Amino acid sequence: MSKKYTFYPGCSSEGSGMHLDRSTRAIAPKLGIELEDIDDWNCCGASVGHLEGGRLGQAALSGRNLAQAQSQGPQDVVTACAACYLNTHHTNEDIREDEGFKAEVNEALGAAGKSYDGGLHVRHMCEVLVNDVGMDKIREQVTNPLSGLKVAGYIGCQTVRPFAGTERGGNYAEYDDPDFLDDFIEATGAEAVEFKNKTSCCGGAVSVIDPDKTLHLMKRILDEAKDMEADVIATPCPLCQTNVEIYQKNVNDKFGTDFNIPVVFHSQLMAVAFGLDPIKDAAFDQNIIKADVVMEKAKK
Amino acid sequence: MSTIPETTRKYDLAFARWVRDNVDGGERMNMCMQCGVCSGSCPLGDHMEDGPRKIFMMVRAGMKEAVLSSNSWRSCVSCYNCVVRCPRKVPVKYILQGLGGLAVREGYAEGAKSDNGAFGRAFWKTIVATGRIDERTFTIRYFYNVGGMTGLIKKGMANMHAAMGLVKTKRMPVFAMPDKIRKRSELKAILDKAVEIQARRGAE
Repeated sequence: MSKKYTFYPGCSSEGSGMHLDRSTRAIAPKLGIELEDIDDWNCCGASVGHLEGGRLGQAALSGRNLAQAQSQGPQDVVTACAACYLNTHHTNEDIREDEGFKAEVNEALGAAGKSYDGGLHVRHMCEVLVNDVGMDKIREQVTNPLSGLKVAGYIGCQTVRPFAGTERGGNYAEYDDPDFLDDFIEATGAEAVEFKNKTSCCGGAVSVIDPDKTLHLMKRILDEAKDMEADVIATPCPLCQTNVEIYQKNVNDKFGTDFNIPVVFHSQLMAVAFGLDPIKDAAFDQNIIKADVVMEKAKK
Repeated sequence: MSTIPETTRKYDLAFARWVRDNVDGGERMNMCMQCGVCSGSCPLGDHMEDGPRKIFMMVRAGMKEAVLSSNSWRSCVSCYNCVVRCPRKVPVKYILQGLGGLAVREGYAEGAKSDNGAFGRAFWKTIVATGRIDERTFTIRYFYNVGGMTGLIKKGMANMHAAMGLVKTKRMPVFAMPDKIRKRSELKAILDKAVEIQARRGAE
C-alpha cells in the first residue's frame, strides 16, 4: 500500500542539492511513498526573496505552487528542502489563519486566473518519514546495515524551526534536541554519535553571500564531528550539505585546520542501507568530498 | 513613493505604528519585553550593530533613520532560534528581515548597496525572469550586482574552489540550458499584481 503525495522538488533539486532529490526519489517507493511533482513549480523565494519582492511577493510564489498542487488533488504537499518547506508551510498557514492575507494572495493569483483556498497541508519529508512511514517500516527495509559507520546527525535550522513542534508541523521534534535524525541513522545500522550541534546554524544564505562571516559557525560543527570521530556528517538540508562541504577548504585556510569530512544526506545513507545502488540511487557521485567510507558498505 | 511616515520628534509613535501595521509579524512587536533572548540566541549577534532587542526599542523610540540604516538584519542567518525561543511569541526574524527589506527597497544606501541587498535583488530578478533560481545565472547576476565586472571577477575568483567542486560533481552543469518554468508570463502577472497590491496599501 503506497500513499500519494504532491511533491515540491525546489530549485536546489536542479543544482547544488541534486543528490538529495535523487536519493529521496530512490528511497520513496521502498517506503510506500508515491510522489507526483507539482507541475511547472516555481521558486519559493528562500530566505531572501522578500527583500526585493516584499512579503506578498514572496507569498505569491508559494501561492502559485499551492494553487497548482490543489488542481492536482487534495493529497498533502511534501518537500525535502528545508527552505521550500518553511516558506510554503508559512504562507499556507497564514492563508488559513488570516482572511485579509488570503484575499491579497488570491487577488495576486487572480491576475493569472488562479486561486487557492488554503485547503492543503504542506509537510516536510522528514516529518512524513516519522509520522506516516514510521521507524519500524524504515527498519524493515534495511537489507544492508551500515554497521561500524559513525555518523554525526546534523539537522540544521529550518527543517525543525519554527514548525516541527507545532500541531500542523506534525509535532515530531524538539527544537534544541530533536531525535529523528539519530533515529534514521540508527535504523540504517550505523551509529549516531552524540552531537550537540545538531541544530546549530551553518550560516545559511549569509554563508553564500559572504562566507568569511560564517566560517566559524561551520568550524564549530566540523570540530565536534571530528572530536566525536564521526566518519561522515549526515543532514536533511540541501543548503547545510552544500555549505559545510564546499567551505571546508575555506575553514581550513582560515583556521589552520585539516578537515576533510564527507557531508551526506540521510536519504543517501538510507538508499545504501536499503540495498540500492550507491551511484544510480544514492547519488554518491555528487558528493564533492567523497564518502568512500559509505560506498564501501554498499551491496556488491 | 515611500509611505513610511516621517518622525518629527523624539518618541514619535508614527513609525512604530507603521511597522506594527505593515511589517510581517509587526503586530506582535508591542509584546517585546526587552529580555534579550533573541539577541543572545543569535549565531551572528556579535556582527550586528544593534541586535533585534535593541532594534525593537529603537522602533518604539521612533528612530526610523537609525533602524533602516542599521546593519543588523544583514547578519540574520534565518535560523529561527529567536522565533522559537521568544517567551512572548514575537516573530523576531520576520520583523527584523521585514525591516531589512524595507531598507533595501527604500534605497537606504548601506542596505541597498550591501552584498545582502545585491543578493536579494539578483534573487528576485532571476525569479521574475525565469521562475526558478538557476544557481549559475543567479550567481553571475549577484556577483555583477556587487560591483560590476570588477565585482564579478573578484567574487568569482574568491569562490572558484567551491564552484569547481560543484561543476565536477555535475551540481553546476556547465553546458545545460538554464532552469526555468514554462508559464513565465503567468508567474510574472501574479508577481506584478502582488507588488501592485503592496504599493496600493503602502506596505513593506
